[in-house]
Amino acid sequence: MTLMPLPRSTLLTVLNLAFAMIVGAIGFGVGFAQGQLAQTVVLFTVITVAALFWFANYVAVAFENRLAADAESGEADADRRLVGARSVWAANRVLIVAMALLLLAYLIITATVPPFRTLSNLIAFLVLEAILVFAFKVSGVFVHGRSAFIGLIVLIALVVISAFTIEGFLSATNIKAVLLFASFLGIACAGQTLVALMGGLDLSIPFVIGAANIGLLYLIGLGVPPWFAFALVIIIGGLIGFLNGVMSYKLQGQALIMTLGMGFAVAGLVQIITSIGSQFSGNVFGTVPPWLSNLAAMNGVTFGLSVPPTILLWIILSVLVVVALRYSAYGRYIYALGGNRRSAMLIGISEFKYWVLAYVISGAFAALTGALLLGWSGGGFIGVGDPYLFTTLAAVVIGGTSLAGGYGGYGFTVIGVLVLQVLSSFLIGIGLKYEWQQFIFGLLILPMVALYSRSPHIRAQV
Amino acid sequence: MTESRGAQDTYLLIPILLLAVLVSIAVIRGPNLVSLPGFGSAIIVAAPLILATYALMSVALAGRGTVDLAVGPLLAFINVSIVSLNGLGLVTSPLGVFVVAIGIGVIYQILFALVIIVVRVQPIIVALSGFLALSGINRVILPRPGGVAPDWMVSWGLGNTIFSPVLLILVLATGGWLLFTLSPFFKHLRMMGYDERAAFTAGVRSDIVRIGAHVIAGIFVGLGAICYTALIASGDPTQGTTMSLTAVTAVVLGGVSLAGGRGTITGALLGATNLFLIGYVLATFQFGSVQGFVTQLLYGLTLIISLLLAMLVPVVGRYISFISPFAAFMVLGIVVAGIVLEVSTAQTYVATGPIPVGSGDNIERYLIFPPTGDAQPFGIWLSPLQRLLFIATAGILALVVMMRVVVVEAAARRFGAFGHAVVACFILLCLAIIAIYSHPARGGLMP
Repeated sequence: MTLMPLPRSTLLTVLNLAFAMIVGAIGFGVGFAQGQLAQTVVLFTVITVAALFWFANYVAVAFENRLAADAESGEADADRRLVGARSVWAANRVLIVAMALLLLAYLIITATVPPFRTLSNLIAFLVLEAILVFAFKVSGVFVHGRSAFIGLIVLIALVVISAFTIEGFLSATNIKAVLLFASFLGIACAGQTLVALMGGLDLSIPFVIGAANIGLLYLIGLGVPPWFAFALVIIIGGLIGFLNGVMSYKLQGQALIMTLGMGFAVAGLVQIITSIGSQFSGNVFGTVPPWLSNLAAMNGVTFGLSVPPTILLWIILSVLVVVALRYSAYGRYIYALGGNRRSAMLIGISEFKYWVLAYVISGAFAALTGALLLGWSGGGFIGVGDPYLFTTLAAVVIGGTSLAGGYGGYGFTVIGVLVLQVLSSFLIGIGLKYEWQQFIFGLLILPMVALYSRSPHIRAQV
Repeated sequence: MTESRGAQDTYLLIPILLLAVLVSIAVIRGPNLVSLPGFGSAIIVAAPLILATYALMSVALAGRGTVDLAVGPLLAFINVSIVSLNGLGLVTSPLGVFVVAIGIGVIYQILFALVIIVVRVQPIIVALSGFLALSGINRVILPRPGGVAPDWMVSWGLGNTIFSPVLLILVLATGGWLLFTLSPFFKHLRMMGYDERAAFTAGVRSDIVRIGAHVIAGIFVGLGAICYTALIASGDPTQGTTMSLTAVTAVVLGGVSLAGGRGTITGALLGATNLFLIGYVLATFQFGSVQGFVTQLLYGLTLIISLLLAMLVPVVGRYISFISPFAAFMVLGIVVAGIVLEVSTAQTYVATGPIPVGSGDNIERYLIFPPTGDAQPFGIWLSPLQRLLFIATAGILALVVMMRVVVVEAAARRFGAFGHAVVACFILLCLAIIAIYSHPARGGLMP
């Protein structure tokens, strides 16, 4: 699939353009009705139209390809299809059961909790049902990128529901906050995605983030020039990744445990170093240089725009990683190795080199996240990495990258990261505490993964 | 399998070696360990970790890379459930608590197995999901450490004797697993973990076997949670993550393959004991404020090194196949027992000055030192010479038996029942000696 898909039929293209324009026009009108700045309204309208047009074209192309493929293989399947109500049930039973369960849950809650009976909740419920239909009926059309499609739909639905239920969800401040946290998570996930594409896992990320966080402040406190300390921390992160890669190479099945041990050791060691001669065990105090604060703090400024540079950094980095994975030899070799080690090695790809490189990148990005988080918080704290222990994994998995390797990509992970952050923002918005969020995240990962990443039955593997 | 015989047991060499080193250091650094209360509290502190490690081992055996990272939060979940139910006055009786604890553990693990079987996602994702969900719900049930354990449980955690109910639970759990290993079900489990496709082709009903492995893990977690509740006598929702990570380390250290199919309960026991001892030894050094960090660092290094060493085991095993884990255990055990005896009895004998030449005969001069107290260990009065002869005879007999067992065992394919019996006798003997010598009447070390 190309970067700018265009359907073969001109009619569809025109229809898509019209659709995008209409939605854009509605947004345009609403924007002026709310009394926004004219520049802002124009900017958002252009973005909306472009994004919608691209998305509609993408869907159209996917349908066209599917129809063409069906026309070729259609004859063979034709006689196997059942007819009547039975076939409807057989083909859709999971969907019907899921929708019925959701309806039941909604009715029970509505009947028992009076404050729940609001219009926004009804809309939210209808949107959820629509997602289910969409996820089951439309996603089948996409052979590749199915998970990304589901992720996008969930993302859009979450935004719609949140916008209805939470006051100020679509305000600039909140969007900025969501994007900023998504940037931290996204940068930390870049390495995890690469490693997962090769069939490994890197659990040292949270520890490296925490260690980089306090280590950077410690180095600055020692009098090292901040920019040099910043670079040094990232290089050390890369070195830790290098050790991870080298030591787990022969033990790829147990890379999970190996990196976990490495993370323990690194976090322990850095804390010992920073605690020597300090009465605050584990905590480091110091002054963060202004440029670092500006880089990641909520009130940061990029080229005059009041957007933290971290967001821009993440966008650039995402484009780089996605393009590199798709078009560079390095990216293609990672897919080759993840898909089939043996074949890849037979055509002369060094497994060791790419395995280690993936871990080096992972370590360096984790250290970068830790350093940026220092700019955000303004104080060193080892526990800052703790939430990333499983959220990096969750974002990769929700995005649809296979942990077995060979399938997925950073674009998927970006969607996963956004879903996680918007969901988290939504849960905070409706007043749930962190514990409940964690609980819901945990329960949510399973169905998301089950939608697209099921392994075949053992029968089918023999 | 092309590996040499005893490949299952070869992996035990590392934890045995480490255990010997750690016990020696622990006894020298903290002699309090060698006393009834010291040993009793050690068992109580280590029991939850040991049982969590058993649970991990049981599911790891089932293959597909099942590392149940959620074992810690699950343990904490059962812990806070027990405490909350007790606080509400709903479940307070011993039977009720056991039913609740084991019930929750088993139900969770069955759900885990069903998701793996029916939904067919990777077990690590299920574990991750369970980890997040349980960690969250624990804080909801009990926002901060607190609450009280049932009354009858309080006396369990005192640890002033070795023979506490916690030890009974441990022994029953270990014995139960050992009995289970005799069943064909266990062979199916190991086969499935080693190569699921081959097992399926051979007619093993892999779904049922997998559920079985998880049910056993659930029982272990439930028992572990009871021991944990007895230990802290309250509820603590925060320790789940630490427990998970420590238990995973212990499993790896114990030579259990996370890829499935290889793992013994002896290994899990040794691994968990080692991790407990690392913590114990570190606690005897005064690191001040960096104590926790040093522990963290050492856990990490232990994990890495044991993984790397486990990789070397097949290579090393090719050259030194004549060293069996049993022989290593025996030799190191004797050395360590010597150190333990030396430490625990160091103050039992009075320091005797040089005996002047010519006073008394040679036997009296060289072999017999008068003990401080008059009390005889067994209430039988023996002359020093008689006692020496008895002990020497018993020692020679024991040596002969042991040599014989070592020779037989070295040629055997797996570690036989007789070997287990000898090891058990040996451990009991050590315990008895420690108990006798640390008795207050014998001038034991504990006040």
